[in-house]
Amino acid sequence: MSVTDRTSLPLSLITPSAKACCRTDTGRGAAPTDPVVALVGAPNTGKSTLFNALTGAGVTMGNWPGTTVEVSRGLWRSTAAEVACDCETCTCDDADGRLDITLIDLPGTYSLDPHSPDEALTRELLVGKPAAERPDLSVVTCDAARLTSCLYLVAQLREQKLPMVVALTMGDVAAKRGVHIDVSALARELGCPVVEIDPRRRGGLMALAEAVRDGLGRPAPAPRATPLDDDDLALEDDRFAWIAHVVDAATGAAAQNARTWSDRVDRWVTAPVVGPLIFLAVMWLVFQLTTTVAAPLQDLLDDVFSGPVSQGAIVLLSAIGLGGSWVQGLVVDGLIAGVGMLLTFVPLMTLMFALLAILEDSGYLARAAVVTDRLMRSIGLPGRAFLPLIVGYGCNVPAISGTRILPNARQRILTALLVPFTSCTARLTVFVMMGAIFFGPYAGTAVFAMYVTSILIIIVVGLGLRSTLWRKEPIDPLVIDLPAYQVPTIRLTASVTWLRLKGFLQTAGGIIVITVAAVWLLQSVPVTPGKNFAEVPVSDSVYGVVSSGIAPVFAPAGFGSWESASTLLVGFVAKEAVISSWAQTYAVAEPDNHAAPGDLGAAVFQTFTESSGGHPVPAALAFMVFLMAYTPCVATLAAQWREIGPRWTLFGVGMQLVVAWTLAVAVFQVGRLFL
Amino acid sequence: MTAPTVAPLSALLAEVAAGTPTVAEMARNTGLSTDVLRAGLDHLVRTGRLQATNLPIGCPPSGCGGCAAAGGCGVAEGGNSLVTLSLTRR
Repeated sequence: MSVTDRTSLPLSLITPSAKACCRTDTGRGAAPTDPVVALVGAPNTGKSTLFNALTGAGVTMGNWPGTTVEVSRGLWRSTAAEVACDCETCTCDDADGRLDITLIDLPGTYSLDPHSPDEALTRELLVGKPAAERPDLSVVTCDAARLTSCLYLVAQLREQKLPMVVALTMGDVAAKRGVHIDVSALARELGCPVVEIDPRRRGGLMALAEAVRDGLGRPAPAPRATPLDDDDLALEDDRFAWIAHVVDAATGAAAQNARTWSDRVDRWVTAPVVGPLIFLAVMWLVFQLTTTVAAPLQDLLDDVFSGPVSQGAIVLLSAIGLGGSWVQGLVVDGLIAGVGMLLTFVPLMTLMFALLAILEDSGYLARAAVVTDRLMRSIGLPGRAFLPLIVGYGCNVPAISGTRILPNARQRILTALLVPFTSCTARLTVFVMMGAIFFGPYAGTAVFAMYVTSILIIIVVGLGLRSTLWRKEPIDPLVIDLPAYQVPTIRLTASVTWLRLKGFLQTAGGIIVITVAAVWLLQSVPVTPGKNFAEVPVSDSVYGVVSSGIAPVFAPAGFGSWESASTLLVGFVAKEAVISSWAQTYAVAEPDNHAAPGDLGAAVFQTFTESSGGHPVPAALAFMVFLMAYTPCVATLAAQWREIGPRWTLFGVGMQLVVAWTLAVAVFQVGRLFL
Repeated sequence: MTAPTVAPLSALLAEVAAGTPTVAEMARNTGLSTDVLRAGLDHLVRTGRLQATNLPIGCPPSGCGGCAAAGGCGVAEGGNSLVTLSLTRR
């Protein structure tokens, strides 16, 4: 049995001494004459576990950084014999081969540089004290799986005239990672003994005891030569060059520099030219798969909502005496037509989210971040801005909040102004619907084109802002440590997909329901006298008249009809509402069409054909571009207001409208020459 | 593969300053192993030559409960975040 005192140890108590006698009193503490051995090492290298294994009890074990925050002291009754000492039965006064050692467990530290109290204390105990007050020997624990990280401390200790032994832990973890260390080569290069141990299973403790006893009996090895340069960085460089050399010798340079298949793939996937092309190809595949596979399911759901669900609601309402009333209008033409139409996108969104989750889980999206970052840096935008912008392709609201990662206010403003141009998933639903109506089998490509356009707009607007308002902003470097590729797991993919789908459904069930009700109300209030509430044609309602008032603004872009203009107004609330409001408008306008799937598409096509003078495809493209570039939703505006203030928010709204309108007009005017 | 440099930290700082975005690319440029580079990055952060910044992807400090877009952003679970490194003047 050994005895451990776990206390905050005053430095004065650390008095090295030698003692080579085994006592019969099992409760004996450390004697002043015992040699003192210090346990040092980086956090999480098994130091506390080793201390417990050697002294018997006392220190909390765990794999949590900073477990050893105070100095612990214990008695290590070391023996080099095969069988460990059992002091409860041991009665010898001077047992052969036994040595009592005062073991000190110093705080976990990566270096002797006094950047933290732990490091300062360790430095003070090991090298700050006069030689006579220092430990007689240091045992440095090194994690074999993180050998390089642990060796900086060893490098510093080797610059002192200190006897030391390196205890190599976590060999099993290293082996699993394919790291094989040549212990004798490591000892040769370090210039001190190295012992492989497994303190959890008490493996190698005898060998460690032997090495320590041997070290205590020898003079300290000569310190490692260091450069005479006073420059801190030069000294640290010298240490790291030494570490690189030691690691190469101990693990094999070829093994260290061996390129994994992940590295080989990354060589192409993150390449400056090929990388973006691969990224675009992957995203095209995602959209193509999504629109192709989900289309039949979407049609099926459309049939269900416009058929049995609507008919069932009419029957039920008629049964309770509300058939033909405004309540039926609200429920059937409003909620079922609007929200139901949005819900037909659930299969599509599920597939899209699942594919993106697979890309994310596989590690590819991290590569996409590198590609995006490089692109942004090449055009002079702050590198870190890539992350909020990528998040923006999911939802603009957290992306705006994400601009807080940027170091200065002007960069935050710049990025927050660009985020609304990222095409969020809410806009995706509209793009898919427009793609299906106007581009048929090429719907996926049309949607993909919108995303490419989104990237181009960000680049052009970003460059414009950089060259005017943000001319003097520095660009911060950014480093990303790419994770290895892995096979996506079903659990994680399903979990992320559900999480995002839930967000989509919550939006559909919350703000969209309210918007649908508001749109229905506006469509039911007549402007012309003599008409009754909920019995007015939409074109004569408040909704229709207001929309007609702004529709001429969009005439140069080919979608100057009140039906199209109204959806853009509603789209200010949320982009999903564009679809629901369209469905409501045409359901109310043609109330007998509940059971006719596909008529919404035909009606939209007809509207665009009329408003564009016979050029529906360029008009649809212009509409999609406008929808992508103008203000995303009120939630994004609120987030902008909070993050960058009212002045920049209003500037952003104005800029978005100008960019959106200009681009839409350009697309239509050029497009109608060819299509 | 470039021959390993005799001044790993200086080379690493130069790579960061040049905007090399990944550790793997730094390894290709410097001839150093990725392990040495990662240890070097950690060391430079500890010594204050590099500043590490968590990228919380816009989540509020109160967690997803305080965010209007919770559930839709895809980062509600887990809690791991990316870290960026930037040079600091000493």
